[in-house]
Amino acid sequence: MIKKFDKKDEESGSGSNPFQHLEKSAVLQEARIFNETPINPRRCLHILTKIIYLLNQGEHFGTTEATEAFFAMTRLFQSNDQTLRRMCYLTIKEMANISEDVIIVTSSLTKDMTGKDDVYRGPAIRALCRITDTTMLQAIERYMKQAIVDKVPSVSSSALVSSLHMVKMSYDVVKRWVNEAQEAASSDNIMVQYHALGLLYHLRKNDRLAVTKMLNKFTKSGLKSPFAYCMLIRIASKLLDETEGGHDSPLFDFIESCLRNKNEMVVYEAASAIVHMPNCTARELAPAVSVLQLFCSSPKAALRYAAVRTLNKVAMKHPSAVTACNLDLENLITDSNRSIATLAITTLLKTGSESSVDRLMKQISSFVSEISDEFKVVVVQAISALCQKYPRKHSVMMNFLSNMLRDDGGFEYKRAIVDCIISIIEENPESKETGLAHLCEFIEDCEHTVLATKILHLLGKEGPRTPQPSKYIRFIFNRVVLESEAVRAAAVSALAKFGAQNDDLLPSVLVLMQRCMMDSDDEVRDRATFYMNVLQQKQKALNAAYIFNGLSVSIPGLEKSLHQYTLDPSEKPFDMKTVPLATTPITEQKTEIAPVATSKLPEKLAPSRQDIYQEQLAAIPEFQGLGPLFKSAEPVQLTEAETEYVVRCIKHTFSRHMVFQFDCTNTLNDQLLQKVLVQMEPSESYEVLHYLPAASLPYSQPGSCYTLVRLPDDDPTAVSCTFSCTMKYLVRDCDPNTGEPDDDGYDDEYVLEDLEVTVADHIQKVLKPNFGAAWEEVGDEFEKEETFALASVRTLDEAVKNIVSFLGMQPCERSDKVPENKNSHILFLAGVFRGGHDTLVRARLALADGVTMQVTVRSDEETVVDVILASVG
Amino acid sequence: MGLLDKLSGWLGLRKKEVNVLCLGLDNSGKTTIINQLKPANTPGQEVVPTIGFNIEKFKSSSLSFTVFDMSGQSRYRNLWEHYYKESHAIIFVIDSSDKLRMVVAKEELDTLLSHEDICSKKLPVLFFANKMDLHDAMSSVKVSQMLCLETIKDKPWHICASNAIEGEGLKEGVDWLQGNARAFIMLYYCHCVVK
Repeated sequence: MIKKFDKKDEESGSGSNPFQHLEKSAVLQEARIFNETPINPRRCLHILTKIIYLLNQGEHFGTTEATEAFFAMTRLFQSNDQTLRRMCYLTIKEMANISEDVIIVTSSLTKDMTGKDDVYRGPAIRALCRITDTTMLQAIERYMKQAIVDKVPSVSSSALVSSLHMVKMSYDVVKRWVNEAQEAASSDNIMVQYHALGLLYHLRKNDRLAVTKMLNKFTKSGLKSPFAYCMLIRIASKLLDETEGGHDSPLFDFIESCLRNKNEMVVYEAASAIVHMPNCTARELAPAVSVLQLFCSSPKAALRYAAVRTLNKVAMKHPSAVTACNLDLENLITDSNRSIATLAITTLLKTGSESSVDRLMKQISSFVSEISDEFKVVVVQAISALCQKYPRKHSVMMNFLSNMLRDDGGFEYKRAIVDCIISIIEENPESKETGLAHLCEFIEDCEHTVLATKILHLLGKEGPRTPQPSKYIRFIFNRVVLESEAVRAAAVSALAKFGAQNDDLLPSVLVLMQRCMMDSDDEVRDRATFYMNVLQQKQKALNAAYIFNGLSVSIPGLEKSLHQYTLDPSEKPFDMKTVPLATTPITEQKTEIAPVATSKLPEKLAPSRQDIYQEQLAAIPEFQGLGPLFKSAEPVQLTEAETEYVVRCIKHTFSRHMVFQFDCTNTLNDQLLQKVLVQMEPSESYEVLHYLPAASLPYSQPGSCYTLVRLPDDDPTAVSCTFSCTMKYLVRDCDPNTGEPDDDGYDDEYVLEDLEVTVADHIQKVLKPNFGAAWEEVGDEFEKEETFALASVRTLDEAVKNIVSFLGMQPCERSDKVPENKNSHILFLAGVFRGGHDTLVRARLALADGVTMQVTVRSDEETVVDVILASVG
Repeated sequence: MGLLDKLSGWLGLRKKEVNVLCLGLDNSGKTTIINQLKPANTPGQEVVPTIGFNIEKFKSSSLSFTVFDMSGQSRYRNLWEHYYKESHAIIFVIDSSDKLRMVVAKEELDTLLSHEDICSKKLPVLFFANKMDLHDAMSSVKVSQMLCLETIKDKPWHICASNAIEGEGLKEGVDWLQGNARAFIMLYYCHCVVK
């Protein structure tokens, strides 16, 4: 017993942090001594430290208690203790947002900032700016102007940086300080000059002309401060990027001239800016790369690191340029700084030839255990890029990855490896079995629930289709026995997929399922019971609908619909078709390009773009009877870039109507538009029901107007239509400076580009993870087939892209990727037609002179099949 | 602070520190009065409306005063009460030429005196009928009538006419305050010790 106490004491004593177990209420109690006279600076200082510590630990202070403590603290201004006063400034800044009436210290701070004591002046300015709001800013403006041009550097810097913060809050007031900032920019102090340049830039950054002028001025006159130089380089490269200025522009010359600057920081910044520019030619890159190459052999670790990191980033874009540095990078492989070594190796992996891969991998595995997780992730990313480049090397990589998987490491690192293995499996069918085997081994001892469930899902998807599905069952069932609820549930789902697809395994799976029905967790039991019953029916269509291809509705939408249903109970059963469909995340297609990037997918349950539109439209009374939103298309631009008015249109499809949302932006600062609407003239039997104008459209504030159109009921095949659009509005001229409009205006109109409604607007993408099963499920009742010749396309790839974008359906089974050097290909597309009809398309493509395409369409509704075939033809 | 220190303080061996609140409507001359009372090393400084408060210190022959010079603007007046608790004396400044707002001043004074942190204490209140140099200024007697000062029974108070720009009348007020603040503070500490 005594021993136990000792141990506890040791533990609490081992943390040398004296503030560890602070109690907020106790500290606030102590803060009462601020009210005592005379003041004891040492004790007060200690208590202030405690308060700030608590605030920084995220402790929540109620407004009343914070205000009380704050006002007690204000009394400490009577003490002249320097440390205490500066601690007061810190406290003021920390409490500025949680206490009320913080402006009480304004006069005290202005007194300090204009006083004689330079130690107080800078901090006082910073504290003052934190507590000042727009209305109070006028009162201190005079002092700020003086402080900016003060000859003490710390005061001037403080004032400049504080002004920069206040630009966000009250741009117009700070803008009046430009002359003072200008003066500070010619200061001799490097920091003041840098901060002044920062302020000047942020005041002007919305005005491209002014920025250009400023750049010209400073590039000509030259600056003292290397920081300011770096800033100038950044501004210049941003401007180049925005204006798409050619590389013959004076700005580019300026950046290039900085490569010859005396200061290494400036040289690096310039090189990095050039290297990151889009479409740089080899000749322009050369000087920048050679500078980085020089840095690679610098004795300073920071420089070597910066250089190799930059090279690593551009290695993918300009491999040939970086190849020049290969020799220097080779030297860095053995660098004592492991971060530098890792980056050097991964760069070489990106630029090197296939033959050097083995050697580099050996080198890296010799010290992979010594580097931090963050860099291990970099290594994994390099490997995954490499696998795409040299698919034949996958066995080496796979071995390496599985070794890494066995090592210790954090979640991010493991996730990167798992993602990488998954992407290899998807790229190379022949690596599937080894990959799955490694992953199986990994989940035997995996502490990350997210990864385990992800792998189980993959096993369920891929496992049944391997030659020997039975060997995965053991790994999966082990999870049911050993793991937490979430993993068990995922394992049950995976098992069900094996049972559904492999008839000979079905009896064993049913036995295992029966055991899972005894599980202690509700979700696991529910899933097991559900799958058990589905599997016992032994119907392909049921399996396809409920085991392979899960719900395709949007989860927030389902939640809302169900909630609505329970609020308003009726005799009718709940109809799944009234629930808006989930939009397939666009990132899905990107997986091939950046396999590791997929790990950054947003959390599943965040409302999608369509859910947001659904909510916005539902809030408009005119659109309430339209039912659930079926599909929202990507925005289409109806104006050229940089015209007077910018209009883009988003098509929202409902079951019988379409709503056109026009997002308009007025780019003329001397006009105020009112009653803006877009008049639409349909070419077919579409009927415009209602216009909902945007009430007013001030300069550069986007607004939306809507048009409601009824789709033709009598002719369901009329899916495409062209609308000619005209924007109509009332113009009121106004003063560009004040935005004050004239009293009267005049009507005007503006012709927009035509808007097309195509078949794609009637179909929502749905991903069917198992296309074959879905194909069987829909059945051949309304199957139709037709053959087309696509004369104008030359490659299969192009044909696939055209079909996918034309029909607006989701490619399944990764069939949108055409393997190289093949003459035929099968494309699987899945979607749901307006009205909730599942629609599947199988297109067999053959490459002869042109591309010949045999399209087979299945759906649960005959007209849909006709519509699709008609639109393709 | 030990009892011995306190005793020596009472015996006048050390200058006692007194917290004084300087209140009054905006533009009544609070900051100007305090600037006059300060040791005269920063003359000629332009006085701007106070936002929040300023802390100033000055000494009289036997006491050292810490003055909280509060802002008199209407929107900051509700912040005065945060400083009531720990104060030992109040200076209330009135612009005696501003007849129109005398009622406002009276109202603020009544609110102040009826505040729970003030009404129970017998702290001395010094009134400055300021700006007496202006030709339309009222006499201090008239001011005290308009503010109904005679109804204050439970606190020692004193009114004196002043001209803060020239410093006239301030000395008289501070002398009075010094005597009464000493008495108050003795009582205050005795009370504390007994408790």
